[in-house]
Amino acid sequence: MTGIPLNIDFQQILLHLFNFTILFGALYILLYKPVKNFMENRESYYADMDSKAESNLKAAENTKAEYDDKIRGLDEEVRAEKNKARKEIEEMRERQLADARADAEKIVSDARNEANREKDEIIASAQKEITDMVTGAMEKLALEQSASDAFDQFLDAAEQKTGGHNE
Amino acid sequence: MTKQERRKTMIIFALAALVFMIAAILAGDGGGEEEAIQDVMRDAVLHDLNKVSLLGLIDVNPGLLAGFIVSGFLILLALICRIFIIPKFTLVPGKIQLVLETVVGLFSGMAKGNSKINKFLGAYIFAAGAYIFTGTLFELFGVQAVTTAGRSISLPAPLSDINGAIMMGCLSYLVIMSGGIAGNGIKGIGKTLKEYSLPISLSFRLFGALLSGALVTELVYYYSSLSYVLPVLVGVLFTLLHALIQAYVLTMLTSLFYGQVSDNTPKPPKEKKHRKKNSKNKEMKQTAEAA
Repeated sequence: MTGIPLNIDFQQILLHLFNFTILFGALYILLYKPVKNFMENRESYYADMDSKAESNLKAAENTKAEYDDKIRGLDEEVRAEKNKARKEIEEMRERQLADARADAEKIVSDARNEANREKDEIIASAQKEITDMVTGAMEKLALEQSASDAFDQFLDAAEQKTGGHNE
Repeated sequence: MTKQERRKTMIIFALAALVFMIAAILAGDGGGEEEAIQDVMRDAVLHDLNKVSLLGLIDVNPGLLAGFIVSGFLILLALICRIFIIPKFTLVPGKIQLVLETVVGLFSGMAKGNSKINKFLGAYIFAAGAYIFTGTLFELFGVQAVTTAGRSISLPAPLSDINGAIMMGCLSYLVIMSGGIAGNGIKGIGKTLKEYSLPISLSFRLFGALLSGALVTELVYYYSSLSYVLPVLVGVLFTLLHALIQAYVLTMLTSLFYGQVSDNTPKPPKEKKHRKKNSKNKEMKQTAEAA
């Protein structure tokens, strides 16, 4: 036995150290590092996938929100368009009504004018006809009076003749 | 074979083993070994009788030779894994990949859980854990070597050699100190030196645990009468158990102390004294008011 208790030998401790250092280096290079690298790569791969999915989800949510806004905007736009169209329709109707009113007035005034003209024409023709009729009647009357007078005279003359004979 | 038949056969085997064991105990005279049990156990502790030659250069303890064999085996295994298994790793792991990833993940996770600076620590405790576990299991195989005196011995666990245990304990302490330096600079050395008993406790804990296992195994194998059935329990189960426990204990302690000395977060200010003072003042005020 040497002086050091438990037979401790520094040379052998160093040899053990040498042995373990080689083992540590070899295990680190051959096993620990590649396996850990693989695990980290896989982790980062899934983390990337996860972050991508998350960003896609966020983008989708943003797009959805955007579209929701757009839809909300569209509703308002539609409402505004409807109002605009309603207004236009109202204006058009007003315009058409005004036009129709103007047309009607024109038609009425035209009709009135026409009626007046026709009335005047009728009156004129009636007057003419009346005049003609009166003239004719007068003529007839005049003729009839003269004929009846003549006939009366004839009859009187005849009576006188006949009376004288009968007596 | 039905269940009943199987049970019958097992009972017969167990009975036969028991009979052999009792017969051996009754018939045996304590073993016909060359050395006395006292010498064997003394040598297991001191390694002064049985030395083996290291490549004909120097005579060393059998534990050192066992250490080289274990290291060679582990390096070979790592090489095989590196060449044949790791290149075939897939995103969804197979059985062997799962085992490798679990082991690496276990030590890496242990390092991560205990310290922020954990790259080197993870690699160190992985190697230390693998060495302790495999080295302890190594004694199960009973690899034979010839001593310088011409005797045949079965090689013990590398760390049941005091020199191996001291190396592991001191190296772990140095690793812890390196963590202290990495985390806190020169202050870290002081932090580590506070735990001055650590290299001794780490070394002798390892040595004591593995030596006790070796001694019990030696004792059991020394007497042929105890060589039936009992080695199954003592040799295999105990060895397996303390291989796991020792690997876990050393790696856990190393990473815990490493985390402690490398931690550089400032301590929160103490408030207890103020609180006590405040509460005392309040009590005094209350009593005064009551009076």
